[in-house]
Amino acid sequence: MARPGGRPPLWRDVRVLRVAFQLMVLAAAGGVLAYLVGNVRENSERLGIPTGFGFLDNPAQFPIPDSGFRQTQPVRDAIWHGLLNTLRVSLLGIVAATLLGIAVGVARLSGNWLVRNAARVYVEGLRNIPLLLLIVFAYIGVALTSFPRVDRAWEPFGLAVVSNRGVVLPWYDDGGPWLLAGVVVAAVAAWGIARWRRAVNDRTGRPEHTLRWAAPAVVAALAAGWLLSGASVTVPELEGRIVTGGTRISPEFFAILAALVLYTASHIAEIVRGSIQAVPLGQSEAAEALALSPFQRLRFVVLPQALRTAVPPMGNQYLNLTKNSTLGAVVSYYELARVTSISVGNGAPAVPAYLLTLGLFVILSLLLSLVVNLVNRRLALVTR
Amino acid sequence: MRPLRPVPAILLTAVLALTACTGDDDGDASDETSGATSTPAATNAPGQPGPGGSDVLGTVQRNGRVRCGTRDDLPGFASLDPSGAHVGFDTDFCRVIAAAVLGDAEAVDFVDLETANRFTALQSGEIDVLVRNTTWTAVRDGTEGATFLQPNFYDGQGMMVSTDSGIDQVADLAGQVVCVAGGTTTEGNVATEFERLGAQPPEILSFESVELVQQAFQEGRCDGWSSDRSQLTSLRAAYPEGPESLTILEGTFSKEPLAPAVRDGDSRWAQVVEWAVMATIQAEEFDISSENVDEVRSSSADPNVLRFLGQPVDGTVLDPGLGLPPDFAYHVVSQVGNYGEIYDRNITPLGLERGLNALWTDGGLLYAPPYR
Repeated sequence: MARPGGRPPLWRDVRVLRVAFQLMVLAAAGGVLAYLVGNVRENSERLGIPTGFGFLDNPAQFPIPDSGFRQTQPVRDAIWHGLLNTLRVSLLGIVAATLLGIAVGVARLSGNWLVRNAARVYVEGLRNIPLLLLIVFAYIGVALTSFPRVDRAWEPFGLAVVSNRGVVLPWYDDGGPWLLAGVVVAAVAAWGIARWRRAVNDRTGRPEHTLRWAAPAVVAALAAGWLLSGASVTVPELEGRIVTGGTRISPEFFAILAALVLYTASHIAEIVRGSIQAVPLGQSEAAEALALSPFQRLRFVVLPQALRTAVPPMGNQYLNLTKNSTLGAVVSYYELARVTSISVGNGAPAVPAYLLTLGLFVILSLLLSLVVNLVNRRLALVTR
Repeated sequence: MRPLRPVPAILLTAVLALTACTGDDDGDASDETSGATSTPAATNAPGQPGPGGSDVLGTVQRNGRVRCGTRDDLPGFASLDPSGAHVGFDTDFCRVIAAAVLGDAEAVDFVDLETANRFTALQSGEIDVLVRNTTWTAVRDGTEGATFLQPNFYDGQGMMVSTDSGIDQVADLAGQVVCVAGGTTTEGNVATEFERLGAQPPEILSFESVELVQQAFQEGRCDGWSSDRSQLTSLRAAYPEGPESLTILEGTFSKEPLAPAVRDGDSRWAQVVEWAVMATIQAEEFDISSENVDEVRSSSADPNVLRFLGQPVDGTVLDPGLGLPPDFAYHVVSQVGNYGEIYDRNITPLGLERGLNALWTDGGLLYAPPYR
């Protein structure tokens, strides 16, 4: 009954219907959510279970090893230490898995039969087993069984103590700020020197040799920081079954880190291999025609183009690694999820406590994605 | 599911109305008058695990089953025998409750729970009662939505070490490593004990499973293994290298009253569970066991005993109005046994003395209020 040339009635107007349907779906989703939240609230209230975040101020009632966290401190601090442990294993794991993954991915395409097939066995072996088993094996089979018991610990040159209670290494004693300053100065110096050498190379064509110039500067900066901090060192010593001094890599940390790195690197290797194969063959032929060495071909021609396509899927692997770190709970690594679960076991209300942990993981993952996106944007092909 | 929003409530009413039409003959009288939405209990469809619902006793009686939260990995308290049946001290108390409420000790659905999710299972209505080595503490009373009943076992945390380690008191472990199967109060108790002793706190490793603790202990990762003494005794008895290679140190450094727990807000069901457990204690005090209960029932002249077993005294049977049948204690004792029998069957083989778990008349803590 629409008048010719006029608007159709509301209930047949596509523009109106489109908006109306979207509103209906939103309202339905919101309604279900509100119903669930309301149920949690009312049921909790009826059972006398707190729904707020007041539990964060209660004493945690459990200690966290290797952190100085005592059982009398509040839950808030326990969660903070759990977050730090998650960050520690995730960030180290991401760096190590990237390096190992790129190496294995390149090796997958090597002309050397042994190297190529060793890389293949590694990839096919590791990416096809459940990560949980790998972690338990790395803990029981490697960290606890392959290393000597503490009463027969190795003490190479009297500098370290190696046993199945951890590897204890010499470490600085105090004066952390000076050391940190040294690290910052070293990083800035390395960055500055790299820029300068690049400029020299651009202007004169002389080789960059960045490492040759930067390494002494970095060593000098670090040494200066250490000397200024008082040059104090603690060397671990074994007395009976107790090790004093030094810094310790615990078997639990070793097991979760090693398993995460080996597992994630096998996936990254496949991404890198695929990305390298996606670079047109003509690129490396052209590089060969310019008489670049095989390493130079890889370093200056192939990898820069390959990594560009590899970055987004590698970002996914980084997110996976971070989330998989929660499996450390199995081997008593006190990461965020384990700390939450022990807090709940000590009386923290489950729903708010786990919501908080979920929220922290979402924030962590979004930050990681942000970094990957920034890198991706920088590496992306600039088209005009 | 008590606080229903209008829309789902209407849906549920429709569903209930439909089921009521089809299955009328096995519904009992109270179901027909319910009117579906008017009473909270009516929304608790039989067999449906729903949170709350203030009438657990009614649900249990309708279903003919008690859903009991327990575990399967702690020999002596709750484990599986070679045929796959649940055996142990805690599981026997599940049977006690079923015998009291339903007259059939085997009418139990055992729900095996992890330590971390046991209270959630109770809160959400997945189980009717939790009998799983659970310590009664103030925080749990206050925040877990659970009501703890009279403890059925008085325990305390202890420390176990290798016999050849040369450690002979807890303080010797200062600065060393203690492993626990944790996620609960165990870690904190260890840390607090070393603080009390003024000793350097040990490194405390907390695993999710007992098996991993045992692995780590066998590989020499830990010097001490801490848990409730009853658990240590049980684990020591089953240790692969033989019980004599482990030593449980003197000294108990926490109070661990292990008590059955029910959901908050249903005092009727709480009283039922309470008195079912009390019946085992009272029976031992009366010297009534599964062996002599029939004889006592027919020949005893003690009015207290006769009343307890639901026998008429001068023509009247005592029904205290708990919602239990008057002869519930007879079913409990004849089908499961008294407290001493349950203890001897499950705990004595582990080598654990009665200690605090003796009757008050023998210097223990077990004391049942009078049944009258």
